[in-house]
Amino acid sequence: MKKLAALVAVLCVALMLGACAKEEKKEPQVLKLGSLSPLTGPYAADGNDIANGARTAIEVIKSEGGIPGFDDITLVAQDSACDPRQAVAAANKLINEKVVGVVGAYCSSSTIPASETLAEQNIPMLTPASTNEKVTERGLKYMFRICGRDDDQSVVAVKFMTDYLKAKTVFVVDDKTTYSQGLADNVEKLAGEKGLEVLMHDHVNQGDKDYSAVLTKIKSMNPDVLYMSLQNSSSGSLMAIQAKRMGITAKIIGQDAVYHPQLMEIAKDAAEGIFLTFGYIDVDKPAYKKFIGAYEPKYGQPGAYSGYAYDAAYTLLKAIKEAGSTDPAKIREKIMAMDYEGASKHIKFMENGDSGSNYIIRVVKDGAFANFWDPATGKTY
Amino acid sequence: MDYFLQQLTNGVTLGGVYALIALGYTMVYGIIQLINFAHGEFFAAGGYMGVILIGWLLTTGAPPWVCLSLGMLLAMGYCAMLAMAVEKVAYKPLRKASRLAVLLSALGMSIFLQNGLMLTQGVYDKAYPTQMTQGGFAIGNVSISYMQVIIVAVTAALLIGLNLLVFRTRIGKAMRATAQDKTMSALVGINANRVISTTFAIGAALAAAAGIMVGFYYGSVRYDMGFVPGIKAFAAAVLGGIGNITGAMIGGFVIGLVEIFAAAYISSQYKDVFAFIILIAVLYFMPTGIMGENVDDTRV
Amino acid sequence: MTREFKKILRFWGIGLVWFYFLLWPLMGLKGDQVSFADSLKVWAAVAVASGLCVVVWLLRERGVLDPLGRGLAAGRNAARAAYSGLPVWVWALVGLACSLCLPLVANRYVMDVFINVLVYVCLGLGLNIVVGLAGLLDLGYIAFYGVGAYTYALLSIHFGISFWLCLPVAAVFAAIAGCFIGYPTLRMRGDYLAIVTLGFGEIVRIVLNNWMGLTNGPNGILGVKAPSVIWPSFANGFELETIWLRSLDGLYYVILGLTVVTVISVYRLNYSRVGRAWEAIREDETAAELMGVNTFRLKLLAYAMGAVFGGLAGAFFAARFRFVSPESFTFLESAMVLSMVVLGGMGSIPGVILGALALIALPEAFREFELYRMLAFGAAMTIMMLFRPAGLIPAPRFGSRSEEAD
Repeated sequence: MKKLAALVAVLCVALMLGACAKEEKKEPQVLKLGSLSPLTGPYAADGNDIANGARTAIEVIKSEGGIPGFDDITLVAQDSACDPRQAVAAANKLINEKVVGVVGAYCSSSTIPASETLAEQNIPMLTPASTNEKVTERGLKYMFRICGRDDDQSVVAVKFMTDYLKAKTVFVVDDKTTYSQGLADNVEKLAGEKGLEVLMHDHVNQGDKDYSAVLTKIKSMNPDVLYMSLQNSSSGSLMAIQAKRMGITAKIIGQDAVYHPQLMEIAKDAAEGIFLTFGYIDVDKPAYKKFIGAYEPKYGQPGAYSGYAYDAAYTLLKAIKEAGSTDPAKIREKIMAMDYEGASKHIKFMENGDSGSNYIIRVVKDGAFANFWDPATGKTY
Repeated sequence: MDYFLQQLTNGVTLGGVYALIALGYTMVYGIIQLINFAHGEFFAAGGYMGVILIGWLLTTGAPPWVCLSLGMLLAMGYCAMLAMAVEKVAYKPLRKASRLAVLLSALGMSIFLQNGLMLTQGVYDKAYPTQMTQGGFAIGNVSISYMQVIIVAVTAALLIGLNLLVFRTRIGKAMRATAQDKTMSALVGINANRVISTTFAIGAALAAAAGIMVGFYYGSVRYDMGFVPGIKAFAAAVLGGIGNITGAMIGGFVIGLVEIFAAAYISSQYKDVFAFIILIAVLYFMPTGIMGENVDDTRV
Repeated sequence: MTREFKKILRFWGIGLVWFYFLLWPLMGLKGDQVSFADSLKVWAAVAVASGLCVVVWLLRERGVLDPLGRGLAAGRNAARAAYSGLPVWVWALVGLACSLCLPLVANRYVMDVFINVLVYVCLGLGLNIVVGLAGLLDLGYIAFYGVGAYTYALLSIHFGISFWLCLPVAAVFAAIAGCFIGYPTLRMRGDYLAIVTLGFGEIVRIVLNNWMGLTNGPNGILGVKAPSVIWPSFANGFELETIWLRSLDGLYYVILGLTVVTVISVYRLNYSRVGRAWEAIREDETAAELMGVNTFRLKLLAYAMGAVFGGLAGAFFAARFRFVSPESFTFLESAMVLSMVVLGGMGSIPGVILGALALIALPEAFREFELYRMLAFGAAMTIMMLFRPAGLIPAPRFGSRSEEAD
């Protein structure tokens, strides 16, 4: 609230003087980490989770003794607004601020152009959320990905449908974003190969609230499984509520973008029994406990990307600490040599910057997410 | 046949939602010919106020129906106050300026209010206490929820109420006079500023009612929920004929039905395209909307 | 005097009470908790800030600030005298020289912002033809930007055609799109026109997002080529070398060139027969038609000409990011471009340039506020409109009008 007060005051002063006051602060030896995510606009929920995850990592590193040679570590959180133009402007702003590395962005359509800009200055970029294959397949040396890839996620989803649910028919719906459509297309292709009949692949538009037309279609086709590929948990909860009201009995499978505590908060009992593909989380491991212990008191329950953003920032800071320098080449060397247990997954990078996927099936049970089915063993937890 | 009837139910409900927002929109629109971008934000603020106030009243232990009606009334009052403040600050000083200047001021207000909601209420969705209004019934294989019935019923009731207000009361007469000619109506003793302010208050209260209804129907509200319905309401109001209350309702239903049936029978990803094509086609053949205008556009 | 004083104080007081009533339910009611601390803090800050404004206003009214005001007025008059003392082209040259030297002094971020500003200057000037000159309200202008961007992206990806060749192609495609949109709207006026153009803009965006075969849908098009120049190289003998203009400086000069072309063409159009005819249509369509202006053809031409500059800017957009996706062409972008035109002053070229500068630079200046960025931007937009309803630099209008008399 202090900020709002400051803002109002600054606005008025600026207007009266007809000039914009801008203060420059100089502090000795501050390590600056950048984050790029949509802080405003329709994806602000996930964007703020990402910034908060990175902030938590900085606090944890500080409590572990900080980084030698630096008095303080700060996060420069920039708004990418999920718009390529603003993302590139924000990336250039981060370059100006002399950040040592960037956590972000969220939308693949922001990550791709922003990473090209950052690559010109050899600034390492670790995305916690852009699952599009293209992100790491452009040969950029300083592009890393903490989350999994769309192509791995769909494999697990289809395997679950055929092996565990023994489904015969599936209805696929996506909301026409790079992420959701990529996933849905992969599921459609894989299902066809596995002998699972795809009744229809339909689309809704991002930002719709009313899914009744498509759900009526689903009800009349009566599939065994509804694969609901949506860009965020808010659309996911709306669809779950309306599906229940419509009386759809098909099992619903979602994915990591729908994974957020607000799914249960809003959809309430309509969310019960929804399956989601998500990275395996061992809630008992020390790395996760450390993360949740620092995150929850300040920012509440973590969202889908908080853990990934935390790991991204933690990995970067750890690499700087180990390298004892902020030289990009040395940071990259240390990042590539990483082999440790992070909060969300085991961190070990491949040559192209991917860190592999560990997708399993989780389920909403009694108003909370729980591990459900392991694709490697084919058994429930 | 069941499929068609179910889709028809969906279409009528969605149309009802659009019509609800468009009714308030067209009131303001008719009187000062302002594309009020902030109307969508009044709708969102109403939705939020509904969940905040009803939630708060429920904690006092009052019976649910009291909380519901009192919360709704308070939320409508809140939005009326908000709209009067916005009108006073952002529109009134520009009454003599070009219409585009007011349009821009409205856009700025819309951005401001939307972000104000985001900052005070957070970026996450807020859940409605939907257990109060759950349930429904089935006719054959067509399932209808109580909320759907309520939405359509309220839309119809508001249509009648507003028509009575505009055509049967003193303030309605003053509104029509002001819409036609501000200078002349001032000469015959109508306080134009007060009339405009009242119209804004009524329009925003209607938007708040719509926001609460939509909150109960879909189960949640979100800070940016006003933007798309704002545009759709604008489209509905224009389609029906600017400033024409019955027209706005018809426009809302047409757009809702076209969207649902396009999604049901043609292609769901192109449903908005069909809605806009219908809009363009109608306006091409009827350049002043389906019902025609209440005001002539010589001064527009 | 005292009446005035009382009136303003009363307005301020009522406003503050009113404001608190609006603020408290939003900030003070969280579930079953009722608190006043947070909302009072914000309220106090607003009260103090607005109180300062009131004090300054009162001082001005009382004449305390007169010396300051006189100084400012003298400065303004001197500036105006200096401005009108020299012909316009001298100032244009000075501006151009400053723009040319900018890369020498500015850092990356500033360069990036200025490239954006110049892109929006092109867009704004294009829309200015439609809105400012011909008086047709267009809420779907960004569609032409999208058409231009996709034209270049597709030609570059599939056929490898160079940026410079694609520029005119993109312009032509955008002009055709302009005619498409223009034709059915010719009979409509005012807000009917606004909603139909808005609809067209949305249609273009939805088609871009859904036509997988052509546009690759939401994934966008990757790998678009940057503009190139052919430069003689004497390293080993004489040969022509292709240089890709990927650096911000290179791109800056490309868009600066495009902007200069746009400014000159719009200036020439403005003072041509066609420009006069557009203004006649804007002032009174019926009268213009009676005077022998072919309103049908000229309105269509206005759409097409406006679209041309949108298309050029779009082609540059694709070349600059080497990536296009439908997310860049939303209704909000149309509204932003329209805001630049209106804020700057409709029909005025320096106005539109200033408007673009203000609306691109402001959100960037507010970046320090992070989450509060767009809140500040919205407020700034309204406040600027309240103080300059005719725009920052209104266009000179010729002759007097009946509505100004009363």
